[in-house]
Amino acid sequence: MKTKSTPEVQFDRQKQRLRIEGQSYPENAFKFYEPVFSWLNDYLTDSEEGASLEIHINMPYINTSSSKCVMMILERLEEAHQNGQKIAVRWYYDVENETAKECAEEFKEDLTMPFELLPVEEEK
Amino acid sequence: MNQASGGREADDARPARQSVIYDSGTIKVVVLACLTIVLAVMITGGMSYFITRNAVVDKLKSRDIVYIIESISAKIDGRIARAQETALILAADPAINDWVTGAEQDEKLGKYSKTKINNIAKNYDYANTFIVSAITNHYWAEDSKMLQVMSRTDPNAKWFYDMLASGKSVELNLDYNSGRQDTYVFLNALMGDRKRPVGVTGVGLSLKDIAQEFQRYKFGPNSRLWLVDDNGEINLSDNLNDNGRYLTELVPTQVAVRVIEDRQAGTVSPQISEYVNDNGETIDLAYKVMKSTNWKLVAQIPRSESIAILSNIKLYTIISSIIALVLMIFIFYVVSRRIADPLKRALLLTREMEKQVTERTRELAEKNQKIVDSIEYAKRIQEAILAKEEEIGAVLGNYFILWKPRDVVGGDFYWIRRIDDERSLVALIDCTGHGVPGALMTMTVNAILNQIVDHNHSEPADILTELNRRMKETLHRNDHGQITDDGLDIGICRIERNKRVLFAGAKMSLYIHRKNNVEMIQGDKWSIGYRSSRNDLAFTNYEWEIQAGDCFYLTTDGYIDQNGGDKDYPFGRKRLLQVILAQKTKDMGQQAAAFGDILHQYMGNEPQRDDITLLGFSLH
Repeated sequence: MKTKSTPEVQFDRQKQRLRIEGQSYPENAFKFYEPVFSWLNDYLTDSEEGASLEIHINMPYINTSSSKCVMMILERLEEAHQNGQKIAVRWYYDVENETAKECAEEFKEDLTMPFELLPVEEEK
Repeated sequence: MNQASGGREADDARPARQSVIYDSGTIKVVVLACLTIVLAVMITGGMSYFITRNAVVDKLKSRDIVYIIESISAKIDGRIARAQETALILAADPAINDWVTGAEQDEKLGKYSKTKINNIAKNYDYANTFIVSAITNHYWAEDSKMLQVMSRTDPNAKWFYDMLASGKSVELNLDYNSGRQDTYVFLNALMGDRKRPVGVTGVGLSLKDIAQEFQRYKFGPNSRLWLVDDNGEINLSDNLNDNGRYLTELVPTQVAVRVIEDRQAGTVSPQISEYVNDNGETIDLAYKVMKSTNWKLVAQIPRSESIAILSNIKLYTIISSIIALVLMIFIFYVVSRRIADPLKRALLLTREMEKQVTERTRELAEKNQKIVDSIEYAKRIQEAILAKEEEIGAVLGNYFILWKPRDVVGGDFYWIRRIDDERSLVALIDCTGHGVPGALMTMTVNAILNQIVDHNHSEPADILTELNRRMKETLHRNDHGQITDDGLDIGICRIERNKRVLFAGAKMSLYIHRKNNVEMIQGDKWSIGYRSSRNDLAFTNYEWEIQAGDCFYLTTDGYIDQNGGDKDYPFGRKRLLQVILAQKTKDMGQQAAAFGDILHQYMGNEPQRDDITLLGFSLH
């Protein structure tokens, strides 16, 4: 599923964990993220109140349209957080990759849900 | 264009595949297999021939020759023994005895005696029968004739007197008649008392018929049968010419001497020897001492004749080998054809498929070429909205522009507009997407920007607010819950007579190089035109008083986001700032080259990820 221009997305219902890993600059970002968004939306809507979700993200590069999609995902999570669902975002970035850090910081800025920025020495 | 040349390569590859079915490898295998079969058949045939040959020669020497010589010697011995009995019976006949004793006076007895020997000669197939009187010396032969009167002085009568003197009841005497080319064996028997015989009687027989009988046993015309006496003289032969010659004349001396001197030879079974004659032929020689005489029966058979039967075997072996060979080659051919057939079909299928692939490739190349042509044309249109060099030069003074759309056309473009003599606007725009979608956006943005300025908006922040409103209106008026969301980043400067720069940015920054420092004037962090962008976005104007030597840079995120380096990470803002710092002493032309080269180096073999545009100017 992971390609040079698209990240690997794993959604583990059991462990309540969403993992997105890899660069993201597909030709049509909306087409790529639409299923991710609907899975997430379905999960958050269906799950009982109090259900939790942990999101692990490691994206060395996100192009503009992808970042719009990531933003949509994060906003949906923020909404769930506001609704009292237990959401936690862990955003990994390589210390040498300032663009990734800047990008993550921008995302974090307006969000109130738990959002951890985790520097790693080596890319996973 | 790459794809177009790829199509040509596929065309070139076609003729090389034509010969695939007539693979020389297959022919080699067939030839090799045939040679193997030929060799195998030859070895098998040859071996079976030699095995047969050895068996035949072995049988010939141990049995056939022995059989021939034994049966002939037995025949001769039998004939002689019978003749001996006959001679003894004649000698013991009282009527004949009385007739001879009576000096052949009694006519009755004479008639009886003559009739007797005549009948014996006639009925028992003797060459001669005779009665010789020791009293009258008369020699009576068959046919009732008195042939001669014996005389002691006649050498031809010597045998008679020798016989009378021998005291033996019966004796064998040979007489070779050169005139008749025949050997007569005489069995002489004494009549009356052995010490005082009254006469000799007996029979003579020709062995010619026996010699002729040998023909039946012969393998060929050069086989010989000889009856040889103690001196080596040939007394009987199937070949008349040999009679009277000596064995030494006909076989190598050494061999002849051995045969002659061997007195015990083959009393039980014949002696077999072989020799090679002057012509190089192998000859088998068998000999045996006769029971009834001291003579030796010698049979000479050239090997070539005795094994002539083998030539048939040889012929049949060759014929059967050839038949086997033809059969095997035929079967092999059929089998290999069966094997080769599916392969051939597969190859044909492959070729058919290759043809189709080539055809498709050609079609694709054609379609691709059309698309490429179309986009090339789109590029001309896109370039038409870009400001002309003189126009830019007039506004910006010294400047450079790096404009590198990723796919011929792109979502990046730069825009310039003179407001009045004092003031001008310059903007760098990065629309979402690249390629044709990006290019469509640039056309829209260009048109809207021009409209905005036409409506007397001249402040950068104001222009951006207006642009946001109009873009949203334009792009999302028909949104029906579609997820598509497009917009743009922009940095815009109002340049006021080289004194002041007014800057506003939507997710784009202005970099200013002054002395040894790079100032980054960050634009507002929201983009323009997206659904999420509020309708009434307010942007900020930043002011900058120009000093001599100030260099200004606007860049779309393509430059900063380009991946490369050891870890394949984006180029990054820090690196960009370093590059800007390093350009201090260079003129704008050199800077353009440097920005291009540094990025190119960083990219390495990675493809360009996004549209890249970098605008630098110094306003002096």
